[in-house]
Amino acid sequence: MKHLQYTDLDYSQLFDEFRNPNSGAVVLFSGEVRDNNKGRDVTHLEYEAYEPMAHKMIQEILEEAKSRFRLNQAICVHRLGRVDISGCAVVVITGAGHRKEAYNANRYIIDKVKNEVPIWKHEFFTDGTSEWGQNCDCAIHEDEHEHDHHHEKAK
Amino acid sequence: MDKRSIKIICFAGLRKYFGSETNVQVEPGASYSKVIEELKVINPEAAEVLSSCRIAVNEEFVSMDEPLKLETPIFLIPPSSGG
Repeated sequence: MKHLQYTDLDYSQLFDEFRNPNSGAVVLFSGEVRDNNKGRDVTHLEYEAYEPMAHKMIQEILEEAKSRFRLNQAICVHRLGRVDISGCAVVVITGAGHRKEAYNANRYIIDKVKNEVPIWKHEFFTDGTSEWGQNCDCAIHEDEHEHDHHHEKAK
Repeated sequence: MDKRSIKIICFAGLRKYFGSETNVQVEPGASYSKVIEELKVINPEAAEVLSSCRIAVNEEFVSMDEPLKLETPIFLIPPSSGG
């Protein structure tokens, strides 16, 4: 399965195709584009990736999560190119026998993808300026998530 | 020892400082961290983001302490900001 795409993400279709008779719990996360960030009005985002490596890393994260959380299925697709406000930028779906594994695995996958995979967000603002995301926003919510990467703090 | 040129591919915010591709001169046997040091000299404005970059070679991350392979391009990976 492709993990990166330049066209709109149809998570309803992905969800419909996802069903598995062994899964009593299916969790879908959709990361969507907000119209604001850190007090600034956002018009849209553009995503760029080091594509072969990003694809490979997402595949590895999914395989690891499947084994670690005993999932029946897991998918993750990330958008590249322009995504407008309320557009879906990334979708993660996890299916397991029970909800605990499906929830935990979903969180684990999205955190790892956001923080470790070479994908970058370029934010465009209403004042005509733009800015590359330099780091994940989770640095301000350090206790709310788990992943292995190190947060670089501004010196 | 004569310095050799190594090709560096840049992504995202790094292109503002170095374009999509650049080269640096390094001595054979130097580690990947030397490439970062050289780039900081070329453009000191990029020093902060360079300090948080990772380096990938052949689609795998390498340790900064590792001796670099001169014949293989380096992919300079700024902090991820997907999602």
